[in-house]
Amino acid sequence: MWYKRYLPLVLVFLIGLLGFLTQYIPHWGSEEVVSYMARSLLIIVAFAMFIGAYSLLHMHLTRIRRQQAGWAYSLLVFVGATVMIAAGLYNEGTGPMPPLAPRGINTWLYDHVQVPCSATMFSILAFFIASAAYRTFRAKNLNALLLLIAAVIVMFGQVTISERFVNWGLYVANLFPPLHDFIVDGLGVTDTIFRKLAHFVMAAPNMAAKRGIMLGIALGAISQSLRILFGIERSYMGGGD
Amino acid sequence: MPETAITTVSDAELRWQLMIRRIIHLLLPIVVMVPFLCEIDMPGKPSPLVKQIYYDLEALEPGSVVLFSLDFDPGSQAELAPMTVAALRQCFKNDLHPIVMTHWFSGLGLHKRLLEETAEEFAPDKKSGRDYVLLGFRPGGQSVILSMGDSITGAFDKDYYGKITEGMDALKDVDSLRDIDYALVLSAGGTIDGMWIPYGSDRYGFPIGAGCTAVMAPDLYPFEQSKQITGIIGGLRGAADYEVLVGAPDDATSAMAAQSFAHLYIIGLVIVANIEEFVRKRSKKRE
Repeated sequence: MWYKRYLPLVLVFLIGLLGFLTQYIPHWGSEEVVSYMARSLLIIVAFAMFIGAYSLLHMHLTRIRRQQAGWAYSLLVFVGATVMIAAGLYNEGTGPMPPLAPRGINTWLYDHVQVPCSATMFSILAFFIASAAYRTFRAKNLNALLLLIAAVIVMFGQVTISERFVNWGLYVANLFPPLHDFIVDGLGVTDTIFRKLAHFVMAAPNMAAKRGIMLGIALGAISQSLRILFGIERSYMGGGD
Repeated sequence: MPETAITTVSDAELRWQLMIRRIIHLLLPIVVMVPFLCEIDMPGKPSPLVKQIYYDLEALEPGSVVLFSLDFDPGSQAELAPMTVAALRQCFKNDLHPIVMTHWFSGLGLHKRLLEETAEEFAPDKKSGRDYVLLGFRPGGQSVILSMGDSITGAFDKDYYGKITEGMDALKDVDSLRDIDYALVLSAGGTIDGMWIPYGSDRYGFPIGAGCTAVMAPDLYPFEQSKQITGIIGGLRGAADYEVLVGAPDDATSAMAAQSFAHLYIIGLVIVANIEEFVRKRSKKRE
């Protein structure tokens, strides 16, 4: 079946080329094409949400059927989905078509289950960060030492207590006026010195590294896009090549 | 290889590490709670990156339209909700028209609450549809932005409450993204550099201010340097800075002492860990 093999390649090439060209042609016709493609994509994405929901539920159903480790959690997925969908469809007696009722079981579930659960999951990160900092930020070699120094500067510069610390230091230094003058006038130290140091770490070494990574990613994305456009990369069609 | 790794760590050492971890976890909430219980206030000086966004909004004429893309969910509300409220307060104070939308469906209920509560508390005379609009959510990511570039009322034919957007007072001078005076994208992942800059501001030419979680801020510095975004409100500290600028210290400002103590705690842990490492190396050398 030649069309199964070549038709997708031709379509990908033509649509990809169209998308590429519209970026560089400032003409109303080109704008029309872009807005038409955007509207079409919205429709496709809406269907993709159903496929996503089906895929998620199918995966968890398989887990329950096979009684894999942690299958009870998969059961909770079904319970959660069923309750939320039912509450949404009921919509305080108005049905699924009108906008969501401002107060009711759906809003209550969102405010009192989803919001605290979601916030709790994110909060747990603080515990991991604290114990990970203890276990990993160790100056075992020069690179680790540099990373450690940068991390401490950013962590300290980011919080307001750093300004208090500098002010206390300057207050103590003020007991010896020549020392205070040297620190303030000679070295130019102000209460935001650690903030400025943190900003320097972010705006100089961090940005240099980020730019390098972003350029690398962009070049990789361009080469991968060209491979797809010219039919060299065909894994999206299924199969190995 | 794994067997070798297991045999190098003795049971006593494993027990010690587990105990240390438990102590670290136990002390963290105490360190965070103490400043709240003792009501320690620790406001700081706003950074230039945060000031820039504040001054951009201050420079807008009354009646200007500010698009809020609130791309976060309750997981990151601790950092992003305070900056949302502070920026909305500034908009209402200056008679700007906020248009609120999201790419994160799971945060929609939260965004609705933030907008309604802020409007009710600080601008009870402001009305939905006339002074502000809650557009809500549309699936599609960048294609929603492209569609808004064509027509905002086309992409969102109804607002969150089911009212037709065409002809709304707040949108009367706005056809597409080209007519937006400023966009404030407050995001917990990917939508600033992945969507709004390439498909929004670069294409339709409106200025963007970025608000993000603290871990995302380093990713946005290159875009600030290239002036693709005008400023960055980074994490809870950025939100506290914005509250100070708006003149309404609130949740973020009151959390500054807790964040300071938590950071000091982690820095302390790093110092202790390195002392332990140093002592261990020294004792090994002696052996």
